[in-house]
Amino acid sequence: MTTYVYGIANSSHPALPDGMEGIGKPACPVRILKQGELAAIVSDAPEDLKPKRRDLLAHQNVLSEAGAAGSVLPMRFGSLAPDDETVVSVLGERADHYTERLRTLDGKVEYNVKATHNEQAVLHQVLAENPELRAMVEANQRQGGGSQEQKLQLGEAVTSAVRAREASDAVEVRRALEPTAEAVADGPESTGWLANISFLVSRKSAEGFVAAVDELRTTQPHLELTVHGPLPPYSFVDPGPAGPAE
Amino acid sequence: MTVVPAQQSGGGGGSSGLYDVVELILDRGLVIDAFVRVSLVGIEILKVDVRVVVASVDTYLRFAEACNRLDLESGPKKDPGLPDLVGEITESGAKGKSKGALSGAAETISDAFKQSREEGQRQTEERPRARRSTTSRRKEEKE
Repeated sequence: MTTYVYGIANSSHPALPDGMEGIGKPACPVRILKQGELAAIVSDAPEDLKPKRRDLLAHQNVLSEAGAAGSVLPMRFGSLAPDDETVVSVLGERADHYTERLRTLDGKVEYNVKATHNEQAVLHQVLAENPELRAMVEANQRQGGGSQEQKLQLGEAVTSAVRAREASDAVEVRRALEPTAEAVADGPESTGWLANISFLVSRKSAEGFVAAVDELRTTQPHLELTVHGPLPPYSFVDPGPAGPAE
Repeated sequence: MTVVPAQQSGGGGGSSGLYDVVELILDRGLVIDAFVRVSLVGIEILKVDVRVVVASVDTYLRFAEACNRLDLESGPKKDPGLPDLVGEITESGAKGKSKGALSGAAETISDAFKQSREEGQRQTEERPRARRSTTSRRKEEKE
């Protein structure tokens, strides 16, 4: 029977999600495997497991539940062991490493921040900063939009100005929030964001982090910031949390 | 006094939260070489309909259109959710640091996402979709 692994925690974790509904349909109940000081959060794995939305959610929910009450190392989605014995032996073989990671991450959570531009606001901003661009826009507007040639010229210049803003704003988001975090990791490349950055934040200083986000919203009103957290520390499970976990 | 953001995905983990963190679940987290991983072939990482600026003729035209519709005089003042940005051109190229806050972007993004899903995940559009301002959303909540 294949065993699905959600994450690794300390045996002493106060509230492991034993019996919670896990992946699969019907949901496989979550079980806890213990080996010395460590515990693995597992369940049976349905035959032919695929990354369906329901299962992704179940993975995230089980880890949220475990992470809410104590330190947990989240597995990447879809980790399958041939059986329970294999999981237990891995816990035994690498006990030192996992124990160290759990200790390091104890009391810390991940906040993921994604930033996009408010298009109207950023356009006003680049026009305010570039008199030439503004003059082009005014000229085009006077001519009811201008010729195709003029539109392309203007569009190219504006695109380049907005892209430059995207790059500098990504740096700004990181710079503004970094001081309130213990570690920073660039999120996976995904589309549609000018920044996708994860911050490792101590639970005790989460308020400070949230306040820094609010401050950034105030000082950079053309930025739209989405914050997700507290999350299990997906991006910080490996040593050297300054870089993405590979 | 700080309010922890409403868009928390701790504990219950709402589905809207999943869309925004799905890439973390699939691409980050502990990997143990003694285990196999489920094949992710065929998974479509759902793309949220958020614009990213790419250099292309389509983008140029889209931005030119957006600029043509821009009200240069009153500009952002029309939207009470946005602060006054620098209206007059200043020689220093002011950074436009002014007071005002845009919040609730999370909802906007999930809304946009839901819409884009309903529209069959169209990747491109002729013109930028106007986003509801925070202010209008607040009004709706009050009513």
